[in-house]
Amino acid sequence: MNQQMKTFKKAYLAGLIALTAASCELTEVTNPYVTEDRFLNTPQAAITWLNGVRRQASTTVGTVVEFTELVSDNYFNNYTQSSKVFDIPQINHYDVDVTRIQSAIHKLMEMSEFGLTEVLSADAESTPLQRAELLLYKAYAQLLGADLYVGLPTEPLGPVKTPAELLTGAIALLTEAQDIFQDPDDKRICALLMGRAYHRLGDATQAVTRAQEALANPLLLRQVKYGTQTGPSNNFQSAIFSSNTNSFAPLPRLDFLDPKYFHTTAVVFEDEKPIAIAKAEEAYLIIAEAQIAANQLTQARQTLHSLLTETVAARPVVMIDDSRETRNGGNRDDYPLTEVQVRFDADDQPRSGYVLDRQQGNIPAYTVSGTRVTGEDINAAADADGLLYLVYRLRQELFIAEGRRMTDLGIRFPVSQQEELSNANVGSAHTQPVLPAFIPGDRAMDDFTHDTATGTVTMRYDMNKVLIENKTDETIIPFIN
Amino acid sequence: MNIKQLHIKRKAYLWLIAGSSLLQPQLAAANGRATGGYLEAGQVNTVPLADCLRELAAKAQKRLVYDSRLLEGKRITPPAAEMPAEQALMETLSRAGIAYQLKGSMVILRAETRAEASATARQTVIRGTVTDSLTGEPIAGATVRTDGSMAAVKTGNGGSFSLPWPGTASAATLTVSSVGYRTYSARVTPGTADGLAIALQQDLFGLDEVVVTGQGLDISKRRLSTNVTSISGAELEKVPAGRIDQLLQAKLPNAQIRLTGGQSGATSIIRARGVVSAFMNSTPVIYVDGVRMDNLNTPSTIGGGSTQGAGVSSIADIPMDNIERIEYINGGAATTLYGSDAANGVIQIFTKKGGADRTSVTAEATVGREAATTDFLHFERTKDLLFEPGTYQKYNVAINGASGRIGYSFTGGYLNSTGVQLFKQNANKRLDLRSGFRADLHEKLVYESSFSFVNNQYKRNRNGNQGGYTGLWFAESGASAVTGPQPRFNPRIDELSEEEFARMREYVREAERLQDNEIVVNRFQTSQSFQYKPLENLQLKALGGLDFRVLRNQNIQTNEYLTHTTGNLTTDRGSISNGERKYWGLTLELNGQHRAEVGDFSFVTTVGGQLFRNEDRQVAYNGTNIRDGARNIADAATKTSNEVYYEVVNYGVYVQSNIGWKNRLFMDLGLRGDGNSAFGEAIGVQYYPKVGLSYIPSATEWWADALPFIASAKVRGNYGVAGNFPTPFMNLRTVSFPGYLGEQAASFGTPGVDLRPEKTKTLEAGVDLGFWRDRVRLSAGMYHTITDDALFSVPSAPSTGEAEAFRNVGKILNRGWEFSTNIAAIQKASTSLNVNLAVNTLYNRVLDAGGAAPFNINGFSERTIQTVVQEGYPIGFIRASYGVFGPDGVLESTTPLQYLGTTIPDLFGSMGIDFRYKGLNIYVNADYQQGAYANNWDSQFRYNYGAGDEGIPQGEINSPRGRAGWLEFTNMFIEKTDFIKVRSIGATYSFTAAELRNRLQGVTVGISAINPLNFASSSFDPEATISGSAAGQGGATTGGIAYATYSAPRQFLLSVRITL
Repeated sequence: MNQQMKTFKKAYLAGLIALTAASCELTEVTNPYVTEDRFLNTPQAAITWLNGVRRQASTTVGTVVEFTELVSDNYFNNYTQSSKVFDIPQINHYDVDVTRIQSAIHKLMEMSEFGLTEVLSADAESTPLQRAELLLYKAYAQLLGADLYVGLPTEPLGPVKTPAELLTGAIALLTEAQDIFQDPDDKRICALLMGRAYHRLGDATQAVTRAQEALANPLLLRQVKYGTQTGPSNNFQSAIFSSNTNSFAPLPRLDFLDPKYFHTTAVVFEDEKPIAIAKAEEAYLIIAEAQIAANQLTQARQTLHSLLTETVAARPVVMIDDSRETRNGGNRDDYPLTEVQVRFDADDQPRSGYVLDRQQGNIPAYTVSGTRVTGEDINAAADADGLLYLVYRLRQELFIAEGRRMTDLGIRFPVSQQEELSNANVGSAHTQPVLPAFIPGDRAMDDFTHDTATGTVTMRYDMNKVLIENKTDETIIPFIN
Repeated sequence: MNIKQLHIKRKAYLWLIAGSSLLQPQLAAANGRATGGYLEAGQVNTVPLADCLRELAAKAQKRLVYDSRLLEGKRITPPAAEMPAEQALMETLSRAGIAYQLKGSMVILRAETRAEASATARQTVIRGTVTDSLTGEPIAGATVRTDGSMAAVKTGNGGSFSLPWPGTASAATLTVSSVGYRTYSARVTPGTADGLAIALQQDLFGLDEVVVTGQGLDISKRRLSTNVTSISGAELEKVPAGRIDQLLQAKLPNAQIRLTGGQSGATSIIRARGVVSAFMNSTPVIYVDGVRMDNLNTPSTIGGGSTQGAGVSSIADIPMDNIERIEYINGGAATTLYGSDAANGVIQIFTKKGGADRTSVTAEATVGREAATTDFLHFERTKDLLFEPGTYQKYNVAINGASGRIGYSFTGGYLNSTGVQLFKQNANKRLDLRSGFRADLHEKLVYESSFSFVNNQYKRNRNGNQGGYTGLWFAESGASAVTGPQPRFNPRIDELSEEEFARMREYVREAERLQDNEIVVNRFQTSQSFQYKPLENLQLKALGGLDFRVLRNQNIQTNEYLTHTTGNLTTDRGSISNGERKYWGLTLELNGQHRAEVGDFSFVTTVGGQLFRNEDRQVAYNGTNIRDGARNIADAATKTSNEVYYEVVNYGVYVQSNIGWKNRLFMDLGLRGDGNSAFGEAIGVQYYPKVGLSYIPSATEWWADALPFIASAKVRGNYGVAGNFPTPFMNLRTVSFPGYLGEQAASFGTPGVDLRPEKTKTLEAGVDLGFWRDRVRLSAGMYHTITDDALFSVPSAPSTGEAEAFRNVGKILNRGWEFSTNIAAIQKASTSLNVNLAVNTLYNRVLDAGGAAPFNINGFSERTIQTVVQEGYPIGFIRASYGVFGPDGVLESTTPLQYLGTTIPDLFGSMGIDFRYKGLNIYVNADYQQGAYANNWDSQFRYNYGAGDEGIPQGEINSPRGRAGWLEFTNMFIEKTDFIKVRSIGATYSFTAAELRNRLQGVTVGISAINPLNFASSSFDPEATISGSAAGQGGATTGGIAYATYSAPRQFLLSVRITL
């Protein structure tokens, strides 16, 4: 073997050793993610996690509002984005949106629970107030579960709790949170949410007590927030105002309340409106419903007057330019953009001021509460049914775009198929939605006719009227049943 | 060699096969010989040496004194006549390796001493020409080498070669090989090394063709139990193509290649043995000169184009000039040695690294016209609305040559296609530069390298599910009824008045003109390798290389565009979205191959290690509220950014032994062990074994007598495992930080699951037969593939609060038959006609989903249309509502989430005809599929928007529901997607050097039509289906939804190739 060969052999051997040595480094990779262990063992875990829970609360509410407003008679999806069947309403347990809403609720629940059990104890700097807030969100998640679903588990793959169990659980959590909170308004929010839970449970006494406690501040308001480039963003605002397609169209007779959320800045995310999750208005409505149920009609009238004068009238109204509203979707021939009269149904008289002409100048927008129910309407309501009609009309108008209407209509989502496939506790009864017989199908809740000769839009159904006609149905109007 | 020695050697091999993990086999040297018989070298113009010397001596007036045995039997080429006699005598003696002494007029001859012989040998050059034995045509690019050396040369355009004599040997075995020909071997001595005339016989059956793919190093196909498809560079040069997958379309008998859209750079769907994964795209792994390429064939997480519209493929910019050959294996045991991500097969591209002594310069120009494929448009007027004819130009210069021990190869190419869409919104420009080198550093050591750079630029107009305005959605899907200028148009655009249509055209032209989307790719790659042959029977190879690819995708939406297309005056929403993806992949490989013959047994043992790592960093930087005209986000009122990072390393060691008996029975055993950073901590090393048998009955003595009409036969069978590894870091339990109103906020990240690779286990068997002197070749085989531990995107139960995660829960079956036949119908010196046909069947099922809920890999929401993975069904079947109409034509019932058809064909293949008459070559290539379905989403939209009734009963349209039930009977919009597509028809004429009076080495002129003919059962283009969305980057897709996607344009090209 000549010298050259020897040299090469040496070089080859050296190369081989170098390669083997280098390969140790070559097999190392950079992990760009933060592991759970690392997170829990670094400072400020509790506040960071709580921020995450707050974000999740915004996201969950956003998801609930987007889909339940379509299920209800409040909004119609005039485009192909978002759900195409909830407007019918058609609800199936395999529908991805049913899963999506359920996941959003559980994620809020599980994140709150993880915060309570893992994060607070790992972070020496955690505070009792953080605990109270996590309890509040966990309770709110259970409240949403009870309002929207036929039943939901409260732990991963756990048994399906009935709405009553969920509400009872929420009340316990809120009681604990209320004890910890220091700020009187925080305590009142807990009371109001408990009032809401008792309302749904049909316990008028407890509900009224809590509602009255909350009304110590008639402008009591708790909202989840949106904004900034990285979110969370208010999808519903996008669907009713910010996006170019402006895809969700309100029921014509609710047109004057649209848009509840809007931006006035050049950049959308710099002005994303919050969504209310608890507000004083509900306390009045709970009390009024209890009074009507107890046939205390005068008191009920007074309560409703107070609602309008002390609370609704004090809520902000902003004049905005909504001339970009074109309602040009492809799913129905929409009502005109000019001012037209509206009849709530075929038996109604034409009414003005419900459909606005947005091209004529700025329009009022009600970011918290707005209604066309007046003191005269309240005085004119002769009987219990008349007042109850107004209570549910007020609930619809004051809570529009807050995801409450579907529950008032007695509609409930089933437990999703994805839960059913993994969770042995889910039975076939849980996978059926609740769609009361009085709910018309085939998109009829959103339907109307437009008489171009008289310039009148006539709604096919006045769903508040339908509710009162069916008030004994156990799915609705808890205090009557 | 005595019996004992033989026994020890067998034992040593058995030990090795049993699973040695040694990197360097310390094997005893054995006297290996190349397989295949030796043939006598053909000699031209040689005369007996003794006669020649006597004649020269007489002329020079010298007297020869010698022992007569010295010159016995030797022959030589006489020296040139014009040489002075004495010089000619000395030169001839020297060439013949005869030592001499001059004493006056006496010349005393004697045998050379060793030292003298080696000195002579050093001056000796092996020279000759290589031709086709049938046609007599010279063969360019054949590889010529000797057994004693690693040095190799290529034949030039005239088939000539010259190769230095290897070392000091007194004789050497010369080997000449070229794809499609039988390898030629002959003994040569310094005295017989000149003037070799080698005629290669066409090898129709290819038993002794040498391949490397799947084997670590060279091995002949005879020994393999798996199929390896090889395609020569000459074959590839025939068809002008813009990208490598298009080039291979209809060329791989057992694989299907479909471009998913007609825009340049569009993703493709490549699959062979079905869809083995519901997690990973079915694109094979691609190597160029042994280096792994980025083969992402779906949109990337950031910056890869719109998810369901203009996805960009990394395959579109793999270098494709100056290719020597391509090898392809389609999975199973063939890919076992590639380990954890080779389940979809491997394509290896080998580029040229040198030519013959005489430098050849080849210049090629291809020019032509491009026309939109309008066959599948619904409205007559769409063509006028959206398309215009385009031009295509491609120029290429290649220089190949060799100087001494250095071979070199350079290529430069430029492509400019204007595309067929308005305002050149789909233009493509591409620049390719490439070099290849080969240096025989030493007779036992070879260095090879290649470098390439590609710059590729595309314009893109909007298509697919991009939201807002897209030309095809507006025109073909009927969206002009609901969007665009007021008053809206009648979406039945063929019914529009001329005036109305003119208004629509004006709107569309402006909407197309105002789009400003561009993708730029810069790609650099290199491969460096050393091959070292320390012993006659031992070969080592070390290879390293990298692929570096940077893609920038820029979408500019001006206020003017938004105002025009939405009808709302927009002044503050102009935006620029930039997505950048940087990919960096490193390949290192070290392997050794040992060959031995022990009695009737031969052993080829390969041991190697491979490391592959890549970094994939993607960045988005976007600006909004930007003034029209600004082209970078510095001028944006608000800016945002985003980033994703994937890094993964895979490293493995493999050992393989191929044992032959009497050159007719072979057993192949192999094992690879892999580590991978994407596996969970508890997973550890993953093993991929293989075992195969190959038997050549036609090599037995009795065969020729018993079955004379079957010239060649091979029976093969094997079992092997290959894998697909999971996404990096998806095995960790992490916390994500989405941010909350400008503050840090934490949330659940990935749930933390130990992940291991999917294991694809293939059992296959087949037979290859060559009838009538191999003029009819038939290959038939079956495979049965089970993917265990298939990664399924398992949606978490909502109550867990966890995100959806991949888990190893699935089991997938693919099985089918693979037939291919090649018929040499005419095979004469001046004329040949070859016909090829491949037929493949496929059955695909998800056998087990581990209880996971169905998940979609493509499409939109559950209530519209999706292609879904679900237990008991083929992967990616179409799932949507099934409606039944009553006798009155009104929808009677509808059932959502129904199986509406598979998107995977159960029959597919390719066919071709190649006719040659002297210099004229005419070819046609086509491929076909049958048994798959797709949803015509355009049609469904047309129904919804009233642009057509689309076969829906009038009763339904007139019902109170009107057209609102458009999603309730998606079964009415499902069509069969059987097709036959002729990919290319062309003719070339090659002028030989003689015809050109030797002024040029060759000229070839050609005409071709690309995508000339489509025959399809569907009313839409069965190939142009949106590809991949739900599954994300690199995710599985099967197509299946036809929606606002352009068909690949037709091209009519003229090309001229001149070789200097």
